[in-house]
Amino acid sequence: MEDELSFSDICGGRLALQRRYYSPTCREFCLSCPRLSLRSLTAVTCSVWLAAYGLFTLCENSMILSAAIFIILLGLLGYLHFVKIDQETLLIIDSLGIQMTSSYASGKESTTFIEMGKVKDIIINEAIYMQKVIYYLCILLKDPVEPHGISQVVPVFQSAKPRLDCLIEVYRSCQEILAHQKATSTSP
Amino acid sequence: MVFKVFFPTCCTSADSGLLVGRWVPEQSSAVVLAVVHFPFIPIQVKELLTQVQQASHVGVTVLGTWCHRRQGPEEGLGRFLEGLGTIFSHDPWLQLCRQRGGTSWSCKAVGQPMSPGVPSDDQVLLVFYDQRQVLLSQLHPPTVLPDRQAGDAPASAGGLAAVFDTVARSEVLFRSDRFDEGPVRLSHWQSEGVEASILVELAKQAAGPTCMLVSWLLSLLSAVSTCRLFRLWPLSFICSKLSTCEQVRHRLGHLSLLFSIQGAETPAQLMRKANVFVSVLLDVALGLMLLAWLHGKDHIGQLADTLVPVADRVAEGLQHLLQWLMGAPAGLKMNRALDQVLGRFFLYHIHLWISYIHLMSPFIERILWHVGLSACLGLTVALSLLSDIIALLTFHIYCFYVYGARLYYLKIYGLSSLWRLFRGKKWNVLRQRVDSCSYDLDQLFIGTLLFTILVFLLPTTALYYLVFTLLRLLVVTVQGSLHLLVDLINSLPLYSVGLRLCRPYRLAAGVKFRVLGHEAGKPLRLLMQINPLPYSRVVHTYRLPSCGCHPKLSWSSLCRKLFFGELIYPWRQKSCKQD
Amino acid sequence: MAARGKDPDPPPPAALTCASPAECSLSSTQSHTVCMVSDFFYPNMGGVESHIYQLSQCLIERGHKIIIVTHAYGNRKGVRYLTNGLKVYYLPLKVMYNQSTATTLFHSLPLLRYIFVREKVTIIHSHSSFSAMAHDALFHGKTMGLQTVFTDHSLFGFADVSSVLTNKLLTVSLCDTNHIICVSYTSKENTVLRATLNPEIVSVIPNAVDPTDFTPDPFQRHDDVVTIIVVSRLVYRKGTDLLSGIIPKLCLKYPDLNFIIGGEGPKRIILEEVRERYQLHDRVHLLGALEHKNVRNVLVQGHIFLNTSLTEAFCMAILEAASCGLQVVSTRVGGIPEVLPESLIILCEPSVKSLCEGLEKAISQLKSGTLLPPADIHNIVKTFYTWRNVAERTEKVYDRVSREAVLSMDKRLDRLISHCGPVTGCIFALLAVFNFLFLVFLQWMIPDSLIDVAVDASGPQSTWGRQCSYSKQRDQNSSEPSKTR
Repeated sequence: MEDELSFSDICGGRLALQRRYYSPTCREFCLSCPRLSLRSLTAVTCSVWLAAYGLFTLCENSMILSAAIFIILLGLLGYLHFVKIDQETLLIIDSLGIQMTSSYASGKESTTFIEMGKVKDIIINEAIYMQKVIYYLCILLKDPVEPHGISQVVPVFQSAKPRLDCLIEVYRSCQEILAHQKATSTSP
Repeated sequence: MVFKVFFPTCCTSADSGLLVGRWVPEQSSAVVLAVVHFPFIPIQVKELLTQVQQASHVGVTVLGTWCHRRQGPEEGLGRFLEGLGTIFSHDPWLQLCRQRGGTSWSCKAVGQPMSPGVPSDDQVLLVFYDQRQVLLSQLHPPTVLPDRQAGDAPASAGGLAAVFDTVARSEVLFRSDRFDEGPVRLSHWQSEGVEASILVELAKQAAGPTCMLVSWLLSLLSAVSTCRLFRLWPLSFICSKLSTCEQVRHRLGHLSLLFSIQGAETPAQLMRKANVFVSVLLDVALGLMLLAWLHGKDHIGQLADTLVPVADRVAEGLQHLLQWLMGAPAGLKMNRALDQVLGRFFLYHIHLWISYIHLMSPFIERILWHVGLSACLGLTVALSLLSDIIALLTFHIYCFYVYGARLYYLKIYGLSSLWRLFRGKKWNVLRQRVDSCSYDLDQLFIGTLLFTILVFLLPTTALYYLVFTLLRLLVVTVQGSLHLLVDLINSLPLYSVGLRLCRPYRLAAGVKFRVLGHEAGKPLRLLMQINPLPYSRVVHTYRLPSCGCHPKLSWSSLCRKLFFGELIYPWRQKSCKQD
Repeated sequence: MAARGKDPDPPPPAALTCASPAECSLSSTQSHTVCMVSDFFYPNMGGVESHIYQLSQCLIERGHKIIIVTHAYGNRKGVRYLTNGLKVYYLPLKVMYNQSTATTLFHSLPLLRYIFVREKVTIIHSHSSFSAMAHDALFHGKTMGLQTVFTDHSLFGFADVSSVLTNKLLTVSLCDTNHIICVSYTSKENTVLRATLNPEIVSVIPNAVDPTDFTPDPFQRHDDVVTIIVVSRLVYRKGTDLLSGIIPKLCLKYPDLNFIIGGEGPKRIILEEVRERYQLHDRVHLLGALEHKNVRNVLVQGHIFLNTSLTEAFCMAILEAASCGLQVVSTRVGGIPEVLPESLIILCEPSVKSLCEGLEKAISQLKSGTLLPPADIHNIVKTFYTWRNVAERTEKVYDRVSREAVLSMDKRLDRLISHCGPVTGCIFALLAVFNFLFLVFLQWMIPDSLIDVAVDASGPQSTWGRQCSYSKQRDQNSSEPSKTR
């Protein structure tokens, strides 16, 4: 079962939320941002080139132009490989764990898997971010020493930053699985 | 609780048979280790399992049946498999089945009638894992393994660590390779068979005596170095200040670790040894390259010919600088008398220095030749030696700096205490605070007078201090970058980085799952993959301890020290090393 | 990411319960959404801080929605919830001097606007004229067309340069504020004069103490000696220099006299010097900074409370001391004479001589036994000031303010230019225009529709009560939010 909903992030950009229900115990939420637009790429390239030409006319050294090409290429590579995240996935599997994957524009994927035994809860929290106060979804990890304490707060969808309505959607689904997990793990 | 079955990918194409593995009741998960094929004799299977259990302390049992339907449905086989449940009793009894196409799987867990909550079909998770990768990988951070003698229940290893632990401990089961002919036919991950090479065998045989010999030599060397002659005051002091000595001592420690007779016990120790080995190897290789270049085309002679003029020119430059300072530097009007005194004092020093250099110049080539030889001990030793030579050649700058700093410090100190007197305060030494205090008129008069004199003399001193501090900082920067390079070679865990590059699964940060597909009424299938450790954490985890102490000073405290005229030291201090 | 506060105690997953309409017993008046803004709030300690907290609690009890905005204190930043769903924003703004933030008049607009919009604030209530953030919030609130209320907690002079400047700024800040609250009549007079206000828009609502927190306990006293208690910050304004003159004089005269001094500050050193010079280590105890909950335990150890303030709008300390049953000796400055009736307080001039006389009078009364017993004093004082009363009166101010129209931009500019003098008025009118343009720019950058409306934790739509029961069901899921207090 799979459906796709459209939401917006905190800056008004479009986000697509794909929900895949593999089974009652396993769900996947996939938030995809719009790809790198040609317009912004052109704008950045043009501005770097204009600056380079400005410098070139001042000091008449052609090294500057070749340096500009390198800067653009390296910057683009670095941006695609380390900064631009196209898709963020939250996979929650009952009694196994929660997996967060972020795929970069270059195809690189970084994955974190948290075992269910360490998860205390999933909540929506508020934080001050840049000049905004935003809601974000986060996973609370249990403190191994103190059973009621929280050792760490792991934010989910860090780069997409969806708005509250989208978060509530994901939150409800996650809570269903967590509730199921708690119900079955305590009964035997 | 959802029922989890961990199934090795190498067994997916195996013939029908029995599932052998371990049942983890706390997580209700079954870790399948191998498949036993037909035909077998139940007694032999049980014998094999008890053998494995004794060797590995893992509760390996028969978990259920495995049925791989290549042709059409075989009614007889199904009933036969069900019957096996009565011979090998296990609760719950697994019935794993793969249909013809390879895409359709089914799994049933049949419990005893009285056991509650027998999971239905869609509450079974089928997790595939690569047995070889899981066996060879090392989880980070390493979970605390329970004592192996303590029994077969690793209580502390929770969750997936239990799976890893189970697979790693049942290595005994995988030891038989495909060429072995045992009583029981097993299907699991198999190595390609160990290639018996004469060279490898010889090396293994020779390793023991070599280690003994080298470690004996090393112990002899360290005994010599600790003998009383080197404990005498000047020698020990000089040794502690020279970075070459420190570096050689550090490398000796590395070598004795490498050739120590007792083998590495934990994987971390093994990794450390390998890292040290690669680091030493790289170091010596680079050092030999340097040696070849130095002794190749009379580069030493050229170096020696340039070195003396350079030292001369530096001294000359300093002389010019001092003469400039003794005039009206940058249009500043200095206190003439103090300026002259300081300038002459420093000029005399430079004069001494130049004569010293000229005395040395005939021998410099020989010295350099011998120094060049030290490169065969490794690039790091050569670099440390270079740093020491720089320190010796710029000794005059250091002296100037110390004089300037002391003078400046005295001035600042006097000014601060007189400023307190000026405001009717004084420093209370006992309580470490500033108290108010009433002074006599005479005291105030003298204090104010001294304060004025000091204030007016301050710019001259401060200028000298500033110039020589800048020179000193230049030298310190050069030396510091050399030390950084040495530390980099010393501490970079090259072996671990290489391992991460070529065999990413060996260093695992955790696992990741991929959903393989799900059909209604069939169990969900997941693929478990190893999530490799990021490079930054590899470097962080396996970084070798470097011998030099990093400057603990922050930038702000450095600036503070510079402002108050306290001395800054570039060289490694032994006291730092201990903490 | 720098500003993201990873709070160890997360607020509740309020999202689940937001759909349910809470049946809240509303008082007869309409309910307001009030944003209290001040630089001073817990964990900082003082009169303003406890005023804001207690007032907010009582207003929440009356069914209003209250949020508090202050700056980050060390590691305490982000959003926190206190008792009864009192939401506090600790904004990451730079602290400049004395826990007051630096102001540029513009840099706090984006965050404050975001908060005002997401919380649907209708009234902005700023506290303390020392707080730059409070003035910023007033300025931005007026630009955004919200009702503004200001509470002044302190008195100021007129003579020196710094007061002239601050009074000018106060004039600018208050000239178009809807309503001003002062804590005493002296303070009202002072504020009206300083800011050249129309006295009709200035109300007097005194502070209060929680009498249950400050109960007398005569068994803690040692009756063979006389103990004088001083609890204040040790700064110039609180008259620490006077105290250092009083201590040696009285200690010489009465061998059975002890001082207990609670509080911390830059002037502590002169007290230590006095103690050492006259060898009074066993008779003068310096306790250092006191937590608010420990103040009562210190107060009940003494017989006489001494207040040496040089200026004070409304002295909470003497009220607390009187509530604990102590005889109060104080300087006759500011609003202090209004606080307590003549029978409970001995007023002196702010000089060493006069204060010594007052103290001697109190000591002789104590020795002759003509003082009222502590329990009687407590019973008298406890009827005077209560936070519920303060909240009721503040609510009336809110009701009145909400009926008023907010000045439109052109009227506001007119008011600024006509009211604050030609030069200052024009400058600040220009700044107000800039602020307005900045706001328009922000509204274009992040339209109001993009800002998520926050889930109410207090007020008529409150989800707090349900939330607690919900979290208890799930075996104390997130840590109790009220723990932060």
